[in-house]
Amino acid sequence: MTTGIGRAGCGLCLVLGALSGLVTSGEIEAQETPREIIDRVDRILRGESSHGFATMEVVTEHWERSLTMEMWSLGTEYSLVRITAPRKEAGTATLKSGDDIWNYLPRVDRTIKIPASLMMGSWMGSHFTNDDLVKESRLVEDYDIEIGFEGLREEAEIWEFVLTPAPEAAVVWGRIDFEVRKDDLMPTWARYYDEDGELVRTLQYGEYQEMGGRLVPALMVMVPHDKPGEKTLVRYSDLDFDVEIDEGFFSLRALQSGGD
Amino acid sequence: MPMEPWPRIGWRNLGRNRRRTVITAAGLAFGYFAIVLMNGLMAGMTAEMIENGTGFLMGQIQVHEADYLPQRSIYETIGGRDGVDVEALIRAVGADPAIEAAAPRVYAGGLVSSGESTTAAMLVGVDPELEPGVSRIFRGVVRGRPPERGTREILIGAEMARQLAVDVADEVVLVAPAADGSLGNDLFVVSGIFRSGIAELDAQFAMLPIGQLQALAALAPDRVHEIAAATVDPWLAPDAAQRLAEPVSTVSTQAVVQPWTELRPEMMDYAQLAKSWGFVVIFIVFAIAIFGVANTMLLGTFERRREFAVIMAIGAAPGAVMRTVLYEGLALGAISLVFGVLITLPVLLWWHNAPPDLGWLYGDFTMFGALIRPVLRVEYDAATALWAGLALVLTALLAALVPAARTARLLPADTLSGD
Repeated sequence: MTTGIGRAGCGLCLVLGALSGLVTSGEIEAQETPREIIDRVDRILRGESSHGFATMEVVTEHWERSLTMEMWSLGTEYSLVRITAPRKEAGTATLKSGDDIWNYLPRVDRTIKIPASLMMGSWMGSHFTNDDLVKESRLVEDYDIEIGFEGLREEAEIWEFVLTPAPEAAVVWGRIDFEVRKDDLMPTWARYYDEDGELVRTLQYGEYQEMGGRLVPALMVMVPHDKPGEKTLVRYSDLDFDVEIDEGFFSLRALQSGGD
Repeated sequence: MPMEPWPRIGWRNLGRNRRRTVITAAGLAFGYFAIVLMNGLMAGMTAEMIENGTGFLMGQIQVHEADYLPQRSIYETIGGRDGVDVEALIRAVGADPAIEAAAPRVYAGGLVSSGESTTAAMLVGVDPELEPGVSRIFRGVVRGRPPERGTREILIGAEMARQLAVDVADEVVLVAPAADGSLGNDLFVVSGIFRSGIAELDAQFAMLPIGQLQALAALAPDRVHEIAAATVDPWLAPDAAQRLAEPVSTVSTQAVVQPWTELRPEMMDYAQLAKSWGFVVIFIVFAIAIFGVANTMLLGTFERRREFAVIMAIGAAPGAVMRTVLYEGLALGAISLVFGVLITLPVLLWWHNAPPDLGWLYGDFTMFGALIRPVLRVEYDAATALWAGLALVLTALLAALVPAARTARLLPADTLSGD
């Protein structure tokens, strides 16, 4: 499932495209549970591996900035994001390997592991969290999924999935609502609620277009509701799927060596 | 008119059964001793809490931008984005007679990392030369030394050092989200390790030269989050803070001055609770004593009922007899008070000047985030001593009321005729 930088981190697996054309929504509806649908959306969007470029614009009350980055992913376990601009931060990289996240800081030429207590901290000053990088691939495991609404909305047939935490899952959200278009399996938005049922943030998808031979939402906008006027935009400029890449690429050594 | 004999008779009656008088007086005296000492200990603990709670890092007075607390947003520096003339502000604060010293501080949440280990930290930028005047944090250095001005040195807590497995002279990476949105990061050398005994400080706080933290967090040199100040006595802080509001506002209009009593109201509440608790203790102790004393005096007057009957038979009015017994009670109170002061004073002096160390019994503990040493520290508390003395005499008098009234109702003929 496609939520946040996780997607960005995992290499913008926000891709649907060709495959979705092979399966009609009717088939899915008839044969699959909500969990299977989301899993399918996820796998289609992710690909076996991916490589792409994106820019991230962060708007806060105090500053605005734009970062460009290059990203790679392999399966659900590995992803690597490397900042390419601005110069001050070029080379800064984030590696996700399983449940762990490391940041490489070129200025001091050191790699630091993000402690569990900071998983909810901001990733690179954006409104995405480190947790988004790690947990996005686990939504299907950590949440119970039901269809909250199915039918016509804004001239499109959609599913609205309601994700509630599984009993023992260690998750931060009290509920996630997630809308997916039926005809092309494109996600349109995800809403994140805290444990008190309060809407905390909304992730909006847009600019659906073909990239790497698949239809993907090229734009993701994260809006935190407790900070009016603030938002983070991630826009993919280039995306390739099923690229030749192995686990060795996602090692600490590779992270430190700068990938070039 | 010659002085009436009743006070003298009352006084001499105390000598009739000296052992009983001594025991009763000892009871009252010990009650006095217990009250004064207990309240002294309580005041000692309160003082310890306030001194350590405010003196270790916080300071007794702090100046912030109005919206800085409680979120401690990195952007809310004094004077906002434009900053402030830090030196002028420190001079303005330091000009107050109650202020001993003032120092600037910058705070930033961040990460401290070494090798595989990373820990979240509250980074505190301090002026290494001014800080010792305000807080005792540098005195808590157990290894190495505090950071020096202008160097990339850092002082970390003992627990943080343990978690990161670093020692003095080791290198750590500091990462902090900066005020311009970038991710500040730099290498620092551990110049020293401090131990405060306060778990939160030891595990999460790190001090570095203020200029270095400003550079890391992309804050200009005239942007600070806090001016912390030490007062000569913690209890002078509330008034001093009020006096400072005006001179501080002339330097920076949005700045607020707060004493520790506002910053840590729970400490203030505790201090007040401890004080009022003193009166509860006085009440309980003497409420118990009053029955013992009344019982003893009932017994004493009953034993002497024939003598009272004779006095009344030869013309003394019931009121005079009653006064005799009351005078007896008053005299007993006076003796007990002298006795009580005599046993209390030496212990008070001793424990105030050389508090017994109970380290063998229990270790340091913390209260409201303030370290309390395991010592029987006693503070002088004149008010309690006076009130307790007054209560003691009143107790003796009240205890004499019932025996006095009973004695005054004696029927001389019946009493003398047999029973």
